[in-house]
Amino acid sequence: MVVDIKALRTEVWVDWCPGCGNFGILNATQRAIAELNLEPNKTVVVSGIGCSGKTSHFINVNGVHTLHGRAIPFATGIKIANPELTVIVHGGDGDLLGIGAGHFIALGRRNLDITVVMHNNGVYGLTKGQASPTLFRGLKTKALPQPNIQDAVNPIALAIASGYTFVARTYSLNIKHYVETLKMAINHKGTAFIDVLQPCVVYNDIYTKDFFKERMYILEKNGWDPVVEPGTPTETIEEKIKKAIEKSLEWGDKIPIGVFYHNKAVPEFGERLNTQIPNYTELPPAKQKIARDDGKPIITNSDFRRLFSRYIVTRR
Amino acid sequence: MDKELELMIGGPQGSGLDTTGQILTSSLAYIGYGVISDREYYSNITGKHSYIHMKVSPARVPYDLSYPVKLLTAIDAETLFHHYNDIDEKGFIALDERGLDTNLEKIVTIEGFTKQMIMDDLKNRVGSTILRDLVQYLEDDLKINTIILNYKEILDKLVDKYGVAASLASRYMSSIPMGVISGLMDIDAEAIEYGVRRRFHGRERIIEHNVFLITTIAEDIKSVYGSPLKLPKPTLDMKEIMVVSGNDIVAMGKVVGGLRFQSYYPITPAADESFFIEANQNLGDDKGGVVVFQTEDELAAIAAAIGGALTGVRTATATSGPGFSLMVEALGWAGNSEVPLVITYYQRGGPATGLPTRGGQSDLLFTMFASHGEFPRVVLASGDHEEAFEDSIIAFNLAEKYQLPVIHLLDKYLANSIATIRVPDIDQFTIDRGIIYNGNGDYVRFDTSKTISPRAFLGDDVIMWHTGNEHNEEGHNTEDPILRERMYRKRMEKLELIIKETPKKYMYRYYGPENPEVILLGWGFVKHVSISAIKHLEKEGYKAGYLHLKMFMPFPEEDIVNILNKVDRNNIIAVENNIMLQAAKATSLFTGIRIDRGIKKYTGRPIYLHELLEALRDLLNNRNKKEVVLTYGS
Ligand SMILES: Cc1ncc(C[n+]2csc(CCOP(=O)(O)OP(=O)(O)O)c2C)c(N)n1
Ligand code: SF4
Ligand SMILES: [Mg+2]
Repeated sequence: MVVDIKALRTEVWVDWCPGCGNFGILNATQRAIAELNLEPNKTVVVSGIGCSGKTSHFINVNGVHTLHGRAIPFATGIKIANPELTVIVHGGDGDLLGIGAGHFIALGRRNLDITVVMHNNGVYGLTKGQASPTLFRGLKTKALPQPNIQDAVNPIALAIASGYTFVARTYSLNIKHYVETLKMAINHKGTAFIDVLQPCVVYNDIYTKDFFKERMYILEKNGWDPVVEPGTPTETIEEKIKKAIEKSLEWGDKIPIGVFYHNKAVPEFGERLNTQIPNYTELPPAKQKIARDDGKPIITNSDFRRLFSRYIVTRR
Repeated sequence: MDKELELMIGGPQGSGLDTTGQILTSSLAYIGYGVISDREYYSNITGKHSYIHMKVSPARVPYDLSYPVKLLTAIDAETLFHHYNDIDEKGFIALDERGLDTNLEKIVTIEGFTKQMIMDDLKNRVGSTILRDLVQYLEDDLKINTIILNYKEILDKLVDKYGVAASLASRYMSSIPMGVISGLMDIDAEAIEYGVRRRFHGRERIIEHNVFLITTIAEDIKSVYGSPLKLPKPTLDMKEIMVVSGNDIVAMGKVVGGLRFQSYYPITPAADESFFIEANQNLGDDKGGVVVFQTEDELAAIAAAIGGALTGVRTATATSGPGFSLMVEALGWAGNSEVPLVITYYQRGGPATGLPTRGGQSDLLFTMFASHGEFPRVVLASGDHEEAFEDSIIAFNLAEKYQLPVIHLLDKYLANSIATIRVPDIDQFTIDRGIIYNGNGDYVRFDTSKTISPRAFLGDDVIMWHTGNEHNEEGHNTEDPILRERMYRKRMEKLELIIKETPKKYMYRYYGPENPEVILLGWGFVKHVSISAIKHLEKEGYKAGYLHLKMFMPFPEEDIVNILNKVDRNNIIAVENNIMLQAAKATSLFTGIRIDRGIKKYTGRPIYLHELLEALRDLLNNRNKKEVVLTYGS
């Protein structure tokens, strides 16, 4: 089946502000899904709460619009229960790195095969422009009554430190770069994170289109090699991690976009589950029968005695 | 019921009490006795006082614990200071000779207030805080038989016979109480070996050492004291007996009920359930396995369970108060988005971290109303191990049939007590997955043409949306007032359906005469102590019944009104492990019947039969008295 990009739009009116960077993200995401030929019914977009959170309603694949900060654990449950689904998380910078930061880190420890797309606009859009965790200290975006007194987190460094095996940055209005990056992320077998620079035209008058346009450059054009292939010695991996984190500090006159780190050698979570449950791959939770044809539990009386014999005492 | 035996084993946390309890329970079950074994312990891993309180019955599966006990075996000196008031006249205590000179004042593991209380009492009654003097007093004044043994000399026998290193011998400490009890109860060597084998299966050397030690002690005890605590031959009609804790049996019920994904964050007294499932997660080559997923917190635990449920899997999480507090926002999401989900909720003593390892029933109203907005949910409470098994399966059926979150309420007493129950017959249960989309025609997830919209799963041939917002039939956000009203009502109507369609035994149970004069009203683990109490009251001339509430959301209003209307309002007495009488409050809310007399206990310890009876007599004789607060137990 070839997926037509037009068919990936829903009838829901896209209610973002005119000029918002989210439009680029939406279009490019639909394009990537189309180009990868992902079946809409086997694809799930899981979103958080915020302007970014609405994304799941605008794409004609399964959508789960969750709670503020909780898109990652919802997505985690979906993917573990049914690993044949392609699961893409869309969250805001507040959603993923503020209220949901614990989940963001925990996901990296698992290398579960899902993709996390962060709409990084430096503000809390939907609540009218408060500072987000990616806004630098001292900055005063439009809606702030006073300059921001909290420091920014470095999403790229945090993702790498947390164990994400695919870490990239792209720009919401560079459709081509976004599409390529997202396709790589989805194809990567492990947890992927994409930090998407996204202008908020209403509340962020600092990180504007012009701001980004002047500063952005594509990492890979300068001979950058972020890839760790299986079998790479530990020292080389550590070297790549250090370089990637060092690169992530670059934010000023020049802002790199591209893949910072891509490690193909870490076992995905499903493989790890396989070590506990040998037939997890063939029979993940969503593929298991739980009842016999007559409606009785699939665990029969004799299964019960076999499974729990340790707890049954036969009287002498 | 008089031919039953209650006993206690006490010692510091980490000294093997659990092992003793497990071996003893298995041995007794093997002989054919019914056992309930409650474990009380501090939130501490090593050193603080803990104890097992056990009742053994030849004729029934007992659940009601009472004081005084006939036998106390103590691993350390501290134990007797906690429990000297718990022992029956002419009862037995077994102690280590080496601890006799212990002065209570010097024991550091007893907290200040507790110690002071005991010291004051000892000074009054015994005139000394030395263990030896207390023992003398118990012998002289209460005619209690004291069995003084030298535990080190006993363990040295292992060193001599098997060459066990002296430093390792203390690991066999748990065999000493087992030996004493075996002697006094006349548990024979075969039964002892059975219990030990079950506990240490396959570890032959350890089995041999323990059996040797236990049987040697038992023989020594018998030769001096005989077996004065021997019970009559068992008459229980069970060939196979399950020896399970509440955590164990709930886990089994969930697996049988179709659980295939459990996410959890560790918390007492819920975590053992998840460990149990993980330890037994592989169901067979053709059947698959249960994923047990330890999350970063309870926010994630419930969110992951919801995510899994959307793919059509029976998912659950297990938690206690603090964890559930964190789950509350997502609970509302599940209610709004019509997600079947089971939350197994083990109550402990709150508020906040409260009494982490003690019991309570103080979260009923919280679970009934937790989360903002109005949405349907089921709150279902279990009163004993057999109910807990059934309810664990029923919870999933209700969740899927009505597409909503089900909170299965248990308490620590049930979770941590080990009972001997009948092996359940799986064929009595049906898996009811509710209405599922048949693949024909256009699909919308929230079809409003019926109260229950057919469910499809993520990954099926259709596409759907879910949201925490109010939504239209597709699952997209809406703020339209008409649609809002329709969706809102559609969700809430499920509650009426549940009351109509659910067998009554899952909603409430009534025990006692058809036309009672007095009704005790309770829920959860107060069930059996209340049932025993009404039997005693009957002998004392009261026609008393016990109304056991199980389903609180939705609430079976009509039936409960009919039952409560049988008695004078003043003759309804609530029995609960909380201060507000929460089940009584809930009953009043739904039935309009005001219940303001009750027996309350919120010390974290279970309600004991002797204190309940005393309180009931008090309330029955003093018609103006509203409440009695119980505090027994250390
Ligand atoms: C628990 C909770 N707290 C607060 C809110 C209110 N809220 C809605 S969106 C939002 C911030 C969104 O910011 P971000 O995640 O950066 O998304 P954006 O709107 O910028 O895309 C907040 C705080 C909420 N929905 N839930
Ligand atoms: S507030 Fe900002 S982020 Fe939200 S839709 Fe408007 S422009 Fe976009
Ligand atoms: Mg934002």
